[in-house]
This record gives sequence, structure tokens and C-alpha cells, in this order.
Amino acid sequence: MAESPAEFGALLRERRLKRGYSLRKFAELIEVSPTYLSLIETGKATSRPTADRVRRMAEVLGEDPDAWIAMAGRIADDVKKIILEQPEQIPELLRTVSGLSAEQVRELIDQVKRKRQEDEPS
Amino acid sequence: MSFGIPQRHRVQFMPEPHIEREADALLAEFAAAGHELTVPIPIDEIIELHLRLQLEIDDLRGRFGSDDVLGAIWLEDGRIAVDRSLDHHRHTGRFNFTLAHEVGHWRLHRHQILASPDGPTLFEVEGQPGIVCRDGAKAPEEWQANTFAGYLLMPREHVRAAWQEWRGDDEPVPDAALDVDDVAANQDWAVRAARERFVRPFADQFNVSAMAMRIRLEKLNLLVCEVEPRLF
Repeated sequence: MAESPAEFGALLRERRLKRGYSLRKFAELIEVSPTYLSLIETGKATSRPTADRVRRMAEVLGEDPDAWIAMAGRIADDVKKIILEQPEQIPELLRTVSGLSAEQVRELIDQVKRKRQEDEPS
Repeated sequence: MSFGIPQRHRVQFMPEPHIEREADALLAEFAAAGHELTVPIPIDEIIELHLRLQLEIDDLRGRFGSDDVLGAIWLEDGRIAVDRSLDHHRHTGRFNFTLAHEVGHWRLHRHQILASPDGPTLFEVEGQPGIVCRDGAKAPEEWQANTFAGYLLMPREHVRAAWQEWRGDDEPVPDAALDVDDVAANQDWAVRAARERFVRPFADQFNVSAMAMRIRLEKLNLLVCEVEPRLF
């Protein structure tokens, strides 16, 4: 679920410090300016960080990239591509599963994975 | 918006050796807490990881409507901000010095202000910082914070050890050994400029400006007008 920019920024700062990275060091690692990182952390940035940038943040911090991309209010580029490749079926699928619990979605994913494995030519 | 500290909060006189001891004490605390004390002095880590102060880079000049604002500190919130104009590779030295300067306010002046009858609450209202620091400010608390910053970023023992490694000995360098323009040799500014050209590579080791390093080396008598003859 997307957090507000201020909430996302506060979480980012908390995790960065927990990992022992200073503002300038972390900015260098994720290849942004310290000023932009500071603006993200204080919720003052005029633009949200890109999905790729959030992925890099999550990787450096050892967090789940997909969860962080969602919290930053972004959609991962590969997900966008999947939707654009099947513009009718994928949105329909998403609407269908919307509202299910995390466990129910996990069950569906596992079922699809098993089905794919069965269908693969041996 | 007023700058510096409001008049009623003016700080007490503090001898320079006392300021140096305060800076050394902070570095010792940082090392004792298990952090690695290296050169350049890791001022960001001291602020964020040791003192647990919040660090921000923001458009302070725009916010306070003055082109000479460098930094600010919120004493109640434990928050330091640096103007975004310093976030440039050409200004790393000034950036670090500004951070160390704000730490100087935190270490030297916070308790004095908190102990005053007004406390900081009367002027840290509506999100305004307790102290706003400008380039070239001359108030006593600004001089003290600058002095603290010099000692924090260029500790005596570290500078002497690095000087010995850089020069091969611990001898001072006299002006006669520098490239001072002959025509302007008697001018103070020409001597200062020559000294700063000379120490720039040394200053880079500490990530401070050539000016800050020149001042530190002058205090340590490593940059001198002329070398005093030795008795033995």
C-alpha cells in the first residue's frame, strides 16, 4: 500500500540509520544527490523517486523491493510492461483478485506456479 | 527573521583551550561508542549515528530570504539543516565545516540556552530554528562554534601526524618557502593566498577548505612568518 511521501521518507530514514548509513553515504550508494535524498526523507520532494531508484534503496537496505516500490507509490517497470502487453486480461485479473487476503493471493500464486510446472514439457 | 541567537540568550565567554577540549571529548566519545575515527573526520556519522541528530539539506536561503545563510539548528528537536547550495563537490569543505559548526552550537550552547529562564521555547516557535548561521557572522557564539568546528575536523594529534607524513618531518613552513607574489609580498592577503595554495592538498586529506586548514596550521605554528632559530 502506498504511504504518504512523509511516511515513506520517515521509514526510509529510520531504516537507513538502522543500517548505519549517513545521509551522504546512502545518497552516493543509490546515486542521487544528498539534497534530493534529504527532500525525500522529509516528504518535501516535488517528485516521488522512480521505481528503479526505490528498488536500489531497498536492495542496499536489504528490504523487499516490490513492497518498497508500492510504499513509494510507484509500479515496477516490469509490472507496467506486463499490463501493457495484456491490457485487457491483466487488469481484469487484478480486479478479480482485489479484496482477497494476502494468504488467498499467495495460494492462487502457488496454484498458478504448480500449473505452469505441470504444463512445462519435460 | 533574526539571525544568530536572540540577545537575551548570548553565550558565556569560553576560553579557546576549553573549546578544544570539548571537541576532543566528542571525538573520544564517538570512538568509545565503537565508531571508527578516521581522517577525514566522519562528521556525518558523528551527527546522525552518534549524536542521533536529524540532518537535512534544504533551501535555507530561500526560506529565510538571505543569500548568506549556511546552516540552522533546532535545539529542542535535535535537528540540523544545511543550505542546499553547499551540496556540491566544490563545497565539500564548507559543507563539512557548516555541519561541524552546528555541532558546536549543540555541544557548547544547548545547555546554556536550555538552562536560561526562557529556554528555547520562546524563539523555537512555529518550526523556526533556534539558531540560524550566516557566512561571516561575528557574534561570540558564532566564533565559538567556528572554533569548535576547526578543532573537531582538524584534531591536533591527527593534523600533526598527517603533517609529518606529508612533509617528512614536523618542521614549520616559513613564508619564504612559499610562492608569494614579490610585488605583493608585504600584503597580508597575498601571504594568506600563498599559504592556502600551499596547504590545499593537505586540506583535501581532511575534507576541509584551504582557508580552514591555513588557520588551523597557523594556530599549530606549522605555518609561520619565519622559522625561529633553535638554541640547540
